[in-house]
Amino acid sequence: MNNVFTPFLLPALLLPALFWPQGPETAPALRSAGIVDIAVPAAQAGSWKTVTAIKTQSIDLHQLTKAATPTVNFRTSNASATREPWVDSNGWRFLRQPGGRFHYDVPGKAAALAAAEAYAYGVQAVVKTDEAGLKPFGEMIRFLQSLPPGDAMPALFNFEYVDDGSPAAGEFMNLLVRTNLLFRVVKEPGSSGGMTVALGSAEYPKSEAGNPKLLAEKVRAHLTDEKRLLRVYGSDVVIGRLVGSEAHTRLFLLNYGAGHGGVDGIRVRVLGNFARQQMTQFQAPGTTLLDYKTGSGATEFTLAHLPVFAVIDLQR
Amino acid sequence: MPGSAGRRLRVAPVALTVLLLIKVGFFLDRRAFLQFAAASPLIGSVPGTRSVPHYRICTRDSLPRGTSLPRRYPGQAVRVQADRAVNTASNTIDTPTVRTMLAKGMRELTGAEHDRDAWAGFISPHDVVGIKVNCSGAPQIHSSPELILAIVENLLAVGVKPQNIYIYDRFANQMQIVKYSECVAKGVQIATAEHSRGSILGYDPFTYVEVDFFGEDDTRSNLFRPVTEKFTKIINVPTMKEHRAAGVTGCLKNLAYGSFSNVARSHQREVSNTYSFIGTLASVEPLHSRTVLNVMDGLRSLWHGGPFLQSPQFLFYPKRIVLGTDPVAMDHFLIEMIEAKRKEEGAPSLFDRSPERLRKGPELDKNFNSFIREPGHVEYAGQLGLGIYNRAEIKEKIVQL
Repeated sequence: MNNVFTPFLLPALLLPALFWPQGPETAPALRSAGIVDIAVPAAQAGSWKTVTAIKTQSIDLHQLTKAATPTVNFRTSNASATREPWVDSNGWRFLRQPGGRFHYDVPGKAAALAAAEAYAYGVQAVVKTDEAGLKPFGEMIRFLQSLPPGDAMPALFNFEYVDDGSPAAGEFMNLLVRTNLLFRVVKEPGSSGGMTVALGSAEYPKSEAGNPKLLAEKVRAHLTDEKRLLRVYGSDVVIGRLVGSEAHTRLFLLNYGAGHGGVDGIRVRVLGNFARQQMTQFQAPGTTLLDYKTGSGATEFTLAHLPVFAVIDLQR
Repeated sequence: MPGSAGRRLRVAPVALTVLLLIKVGFFLDRRAFLQFAAASPLIGSVPGTRSVPHYRICTRDSLPRGTSLPRRYPGQAVRVQADRAVNTASNTIDTPTVRTMLAKGMRELTGAEHDRDAWAGFISPHDVVGIKVNCSGAPQIHSSPELILAIVENLLAVGVKPQNIYIYDRFANQMQIVKYSECVAKGVQIATAEHSRGSILGYDPFTYVEVDFFGEDDTRSNLFRPVTEKFTKIINVPTMKEHRAAGVTGCLKNLAYGSFSNVARSHQREVSNTYSFIGTLASVEPLHSRTVLNVMDGLRSLWHGGPFLQSPQFLFYPKRIVLGTDPVAMDHFLIEMIEAKRKEEGAPSLFDRSPERLRKGPELDKNFNSFIREPGHVEYAGQLGLGIYNRAEIKEKIVQL
């Protein structure tokens, strides 16, 4: 297995917080959604002090990096090189700034996906949403709190990516994330001794930066599908992230098409033979993995439905 | 997977003529070469210079093998023709005539004196039978319910229980248009793979062909699950149509693209990998060995713009059904039928690969197409051992009612 462990840690309690710029008169709506921790603008902090059962912290959004609304744009009216939908994922941003702090501004159900995305990538984030987003956000936070402990599970990756910080390098990373090619960002090549990808190298020249899809395909070809830590079949809108070790791996699956409905059936292949498994799925308690199979150095299983977010623990 | 086996498909040896053409092509520019290839006067004489992708086939090997005989009558096809089968004015099919056509055809194919004996050569009372229909052109053109009814009646006569008969196709929304359940015996089942488009749940996760055509990330095409887990026999009932990517859609394509998931990925822009993908899929076990009989529905047909009826001008009525066990030979005759019709209509040959014939669809002009058609897929399937393509070795018996 060509994976290496990164020192990046996933704090179990690093839960996204709701950013709520409205006044304390809205506290009943928050309580109704089960939200007990919020971040507020400094100017609002005083007025919330008198509210019971809701903890507040003041945050200046200008100090945080803006994250995009996680979703899918099908762009059916646009001509494009592929028929794949355009997935708006923040994965590359989070990998570029693993210690960064981010804020989302997302309406409705997307608040739940935003919270899950930030959690899966282990970054600090606040989520600003509207009233329609309170319930899904609150449900997601409770779901995240209910997950089995996953302290200090390092991210798993197939290769290192040398990030020069340029927009082109960022877009290249974006396509890698969208293709479920798992990598770790480094500033200098060669720290792991494994495969390294760098925009501007002979294999990935900057002259090809205008077609990051092509660059991602080259990375995939170089790596080979057999060696990929993670494969997802049956959907173009599900992105996975792996953390853990060879003995205990945790897989996060994010359905970026959640706003358009759940995904009906995906097949997942994770490198490594894992005899035991447990799935915890948001809004689908009690669901189990189907057609589970191990052998030939890989584990495969099917999720019958993926509404938004699933966490799958795999153990040898 | 316990009890599973993967195998790598070896590409059949390339014919000398192909090598010669490749050599010629090497010295010509692409356009000139394509025109040269298109100028070949023999139907399907040259598969062309298409490269064949690397296919990896994974299937279960613990399945009980049937006693099916996919090539019981190699190189043979029986065409039954009846003018009264279709009333072209009303676009309706005469059910009694279709029954008679099927009976005559089965007796001619098998040499049996009675219908029951003819069918019993393929089907036993304990079989679970999948009838693979084609609904991709519904509601205008699809496997006719009248023909399906006649097939089901014969299965019942052999002793197959209604609940062990499945009429199947991939897409639920297309099947619902045709309403087979309204014309067949109570208890006969309707089965589809995709209730929502793109869902993989109806397919066998352990039986698939893996291939990367254009850099797509989902590289698997999985077999319809009942084929591996439920059916002991399959009767293939394709329509007989021109197909804008494959050239024609008959026995092979109906079975292949109609039983596997994620196959539309084989076409992109003007390029279609149907040339090698159709035969490769059709060769996967147990699909191949369980398909014991093909009954092609040529009561209606399309000569351009297929598989969907894009314009009424492309609909015509061959008023025939064709029966056999050799899908390659049968599809060869289908190519001849469509070629003849296109010639009559002044349309270019299916084998015309001229770049100037390419134009993004819809295909409303007989002179243009979105894809370079790949009717060579039939010959390629022959090279894979799925049947006989060589015109000198195949024979079509014609029964006129």
